[in-house]
Amino acid sequence: MDGLTFGVRGLREEVIKKACSVAMAAHKSLEKPYLVEKARTSSDVFFIFPGSWSVGSWFCRPAFGEIKINQSELLSPKGNDKVATSLRSIGRDEPATVNEGFLRRFEMILSDSSLQIEVEKAITEKQQIVFTGHSSGGAIAILATIWYLEEHFKPEKTRIPPLCVTFGSPLVADFIFNHALRREGWSQYFLHFVMRYDIVPRIMLAPLSSMESQLQQILDLLNQKAFFPSQGSIPEASRFYKTVMRNASAVASHAACQLMGNTNPILETVASLIELSPYRPSGTFVFCTGNGKLVVVKNTDAVLQLLFYSSQLSYENELEAIAERSLNNHLDYQSALQESLNMQNVVELDHLEGLPLSSNGTGADNIAKHMALNDLGLSTRARLCLRAAGEQEKQKLSNQQRMDEKKAAIEEGLAKLEEYKNKSTVCQVGYYDAFKLSKDEDDFKANIKRLELTGIWDEIIEMLNRYELPEGFENRKVWVELATKYRRIVEPLDVANYYRHAKNEDTGPYMHKARPRRYRYTQRWREHAERMGVGSSGESCFWAEVEELQLYLTTNPGAFEGIRERVLNLERKLEEWVNGNQISNDVFLEGSTFTKLWKSLPDQHKSISRIQGLIKQLG
Amino acid sequence: MSETLATFIASTPLLEEAWRVCSIANKKFPGAYMVEQIGNVAYVAFSGRQMDSAGSDQSCRNLVPLDAQDAALFAPLYRHTEADHPIKLHSRMLKLFLSVYPTLQNQIAALMGKVKSVVMTGHSIGGTTASLSALWLLCHLHSISSPMSKVLCITFGSPLLGNQAFHRSILRQRWGGNFCHVVSKHDIMPRLLFADIVTHISKIQLLLHFWHWCMASPHFIVTDLSSQLPDDIKDTVFHCVLKDLELLARAEESLESLFWPFGSYVFCCQEGAICVEDAVSVIKMMYLMLATGSPTCSINDHLKYGDYVAKVSKQFLKARNFHEDGLPHSSYEAGVELALQSSELTDKEPVEDLCFSMQSSNLRKEVAIMAKDCLEKAQNGDRPNLTAAKLAIKLSKIVPFRAEIEWYKACCDEADDKLGYYDSFKLKGGSRRENRVNLNRHKLAGFWNSIILMLENNKLPHDFDRRGKWVNASQFYKLLVEPLDIADYYRTGMHRERGHYIEYGRERRYEIFDKWWRERSVSGQNKRSKYASLTQDSCFWARVEEAWEWLDNVRSETDVTKRHQLCDLWRKIDMFEKYARKLIENKEVSIDVLAKNSSFSRWLEEWKVLKSQVVQQSPP
Repeated sequence: MDGLTFGVRGLREEVIKKACSVAMAAHKSLEKPYLVEKARTSSDVFFIFPGSWSVGSWFCRPAFGEIKINQSELLSPKGNDKVATSLRSIGRDEPATVNEGFLRRFEMILSDSSLQIEVEKAITEKQQIVFTGHSSGGAIAILATIWYLEEHFKPEKTRIPPLCVTFGSPLVADFIFNHALRREGWSQYFLHFVMRYDIVPRIMLAPLSSMESQLQQILDLLNQKAFFPSQGSIPEASRFYKTVMRNASAVASHAACQLMGNTNPILETVASLIELSPYRPSGTFVFCTGNGKLVVVKNTDAVLQLLFYSSQLSYENELEAIAERSLNNHLDYQSALQESLNMQNVVELDHLEGLPLSSNGTGADNIAKHMALNDLGLSTRARLCLRAAGEQEKQKLSNQQRMDEKKAAIEEGLAKLEEYKNKSTVCQVGYYDAFKLSKDEDDFKANIKRLELTGIWDEIIEMLNRYELPEGFENRKVWVELATKYRRIVEPLDVANYYRHAKNEDTGPYMHKARPRRYRYTQRWREHAERMGVGSSGESCFWAEVEELQLYLTTNPGAFEGIRERVLNLERKLEEWVNGNQISNDVFLEGSTFTKLWKSLPDQHKSISRIQGLIKQLG
Repeated sequence: MSETLATFIASTPLLEEAWRVCSIANKKFPGAYMVEQIGNVAYVAFSGRQMDSAGSDQSCRNLVPLDAQDAALFAPLYRHTEADHPIKLHSRMLKLFLSVYPTLQNQIAALMGKVKSVVMTGHSIGGTTASLSALWLLCHLHSISSPMSKVLCITFGSPLLGNQAFHRSILRQRWGGNFCHVVSKHDIMPRLLFADIVTHISKIQLLLHFWHWCMASPHFIVTDLSSQLPDDIKDTVFHCVLKDLELLARAEESLESLFWPFGSYVFCCQEGAICVEDAVSVIKMMYLMLATGSPTCSINDHLKYGDYVAKVSKQFLKARNFHEDGLPHSSYEAGVELALQSSELTDKEPVEDLCFSMQSSNLRKEVAIMAKDCLEKAQNGDRPNLTAAKLAIKLSKIVPFRAEIEWYKACCDEADDKLGYYDSFKLKGGSRRENRVNLNRHKLAGFWNSIILMLENNKLPHDFDRRGKWVNASQFYKLLVEPLDIADYYRTGMHRERGHYIEYGRERRYEIFDKWWRERSVSGQNKRSKYASLTQDSCFWARVEEAWEWLDNVRSETDVTKRHQLCDLWRKIDMFEKYARKLIENKEVSIDVLAKNSSFSRWLEEWKVLKSQVVQQSPP
């Protein structure tokens, strides 16, 4: 571990200290939307968000008060370019889920305060922005950081990435949020400090219904403790601790079963009957052991397990003591960090798949790691769960490697189909129509190649669907390019096959009903990578629209008006695609379906069409 | 793994809630059941006190096959039944269920719309009624494709219920995950029916009465009460069950038993719990745990579910410290070790256990070895998603064989002989090209059979049969290849040996694919403008073959006295013709059906001729 930077770019010890002290102090300014503070000796500027202690702002409604990110104005696509939010899985196109209460609060801060202006000022002055907060203030800081990344960093309005440092923050979002953060490479900007027993980071694992009135009592007590640390405990503390831990246990063991590759269907049956929290950790976590050590964990599956296992009881009779500690710990950050930073005792838990299983040190080649596991009170079972998290991460990497090894096979298949395409062009048919007729052995062979490639791509898609590839996979340049090439050469064959077998009459138009995921997903890859508008890279399914228009004109002769807009739209795009070399000229060959469509359009339209030049020149 | 799953189940409120309602049902509703709604979940608890429970005579181990009438209640299950392995249930338990069924049906109807899920639960004999009720509800929801599809059955110390065919039919329906049988470490009740207890029936009777009496007493303390049961009853029953169970569990190869467990078992001990699904492992664990017990505790444990449930439900709080010496380094083996320790079957010194009366340390060692072996087997080695991913690769390798058959079909359909796909293959069976196609046909069949086998052994993800890719691929395969299977069947004369294809020759995989296809989500259908590329009824040609037989029979039948049979044939032929015309009208057939020399076209020709002859001979 490189000193106290936790592997986080641009992080320095004094940033953490400062962040902690200003975040804790912010509780005295609950009425303010946010506070700004500049560091005296550096260019750092801190935006601090005070927390809130009312249940309503934590849980908007039962059971978990969550909302899909696309239901909020704040982080969904804006402007004319309609670029989709980054906070989703690209291929599956599944939006992230966040806590609505925290999101609404941040929206309000953004619209009712001068936060935007001050952030923009800091950007102009090239300052290092640090978003920070304690407790639910941390949750707001996380959302503020996301807003900054989406709004300013991703569109490259600034090159300075933000920092987000939270203390005892509740969880704010689901695993897709985490997935997106990791894919974008943003996880590294988030650093979350969690005391071993602090109950607050675990609260979101329990449904509101299980806590009921206890939660407000606990929040009130924490609020009081923020001012008077000596404030005593309440009898509800033990009950509350048990409630939260029981739910955390359900979430953690459910996740562990999945990590371990459970096959027993009873897991999902039971899960469907109970309220299981959707919230998952994201970013880098630093656990404070309470005896001066800091344990850094980047594997978020492991963090989830740790959130549960590190605050388990060691002895039955310490329930009350630990329950009280679970509340006091929430306000201990400043002193604990002071101590730990002085001791410079930081351990990173990596290579989880090889963690020592026993607490007596046998088999531990890394003493510091071994001690850290003991300091967090991790049982053998806990260690097995951490190992499973590590193994899963490794598995994802090896899946990726396996796919990388198939690139050559894909390239080779594409080369064969390219050859087929050229041959067909020479014969003046165009490979789309040649394939649609499928008269020759070449067509049959091309079909086999198409099916072989389908196999490889479907395997990738299946893995993406189950999140079995590293998060960054859909963002990798080589794969985005290969996928685009694949899509442009092979999808026309799929379309040809579809209309050749008149499958549209079974299942409807190709585009609406039947377009395979391997094309839908990969189109989104390119649109995401190049920040294009949603649906704007549809060149590979050009033929599907041609077929549908042709079909329309055959069944409704002379009814051009009904499809005028669609024809104009297609022509506009075709011009763009042909000029950009995204579609080849064989489209215009004499016998092609497109030429047929063109011929059946009214003369009046053709004479003023934007592509009549292209037709003359290439047809 | 098995241990983590049990931890998960124990961390939910389900076990505690289920036990709570069960104990109320035991005390207050003898011979009946009660319903309680908690949030969106309805709990239906069947009392463990049933007057006529195990029976007073020789019928205490009687299994009866589901007869046609009862089978209607369990239609989806019954569909899987095989002639030589009928589904059988304990006769009295089935009767018990049938006696509550009329009111239960109304209760459930009233709950529909009010709750999202139903938990059927019951202690002791109530457990079997809960299982059958859950099963009925699953069948019912399946038949009306209701959105309220969440049904869970939780039993506590339930006796066994059915045979191996019953177990298999539940697996095939993929309902194994809806049954959770909680069994305390030494409880004799869930093990009782493995043994030949008929000779001890009077003692069993006394035992059941004793248990009922305990369940009825408001605040009983088990150990106080159990002294009231004579020791010889305890000993006889315990040793009888242990003996038969041991024979069963130690059988090397094929375990055979009248009764067979189904669903998942959660074994509860003092120190933890494990969840086991594999039936053979369940039987072994049942034996091993009983072997470490004593007659008294095997009787008492049936009444101690309250304690056990409370204990496992509290386990999440405390970090469990396991014996660490000799903990293996590999995660897999360590997982097995933890499960062993949770089931208290290690060879280490036992934790303090009131029931502990055991035994030579030799037996303990032996038990530990067997348990380890058993748990290793119960733990699935391969990850289902990985298996599924590997299958996707296999599919992509097998698909070219399919494409070759497609190409073959296209060639046949355009050939000059105008025979069409089906007849070309049927007639030219021996030639080189057809041989190649035949080889491909076998390869594809092998691939799809292997998939079904894996699916039924739970080696694949639970939603595998709903994944679009596989549903579509299997459907396409079926439409393309089944006609060839039919052609092969009739060419080789199998129909004369076994009977017609549809009834006697159809491979099970096609029926399964039919089911996948039926159960996929579909939107409205458009009209076809040209003939489908593959005939949408893959059994079409088998129907044609049957129609040929009818036609031949009509023509060869000259005996007027058999007029009645003749009428029947005419009706059948007429129905087939209507069916075929409708398919053609909707363009749901592929062009090979209409090829000039196809057996269908020829049939239609001859049928017309026959009809006109008949009309001429005997005008209407």
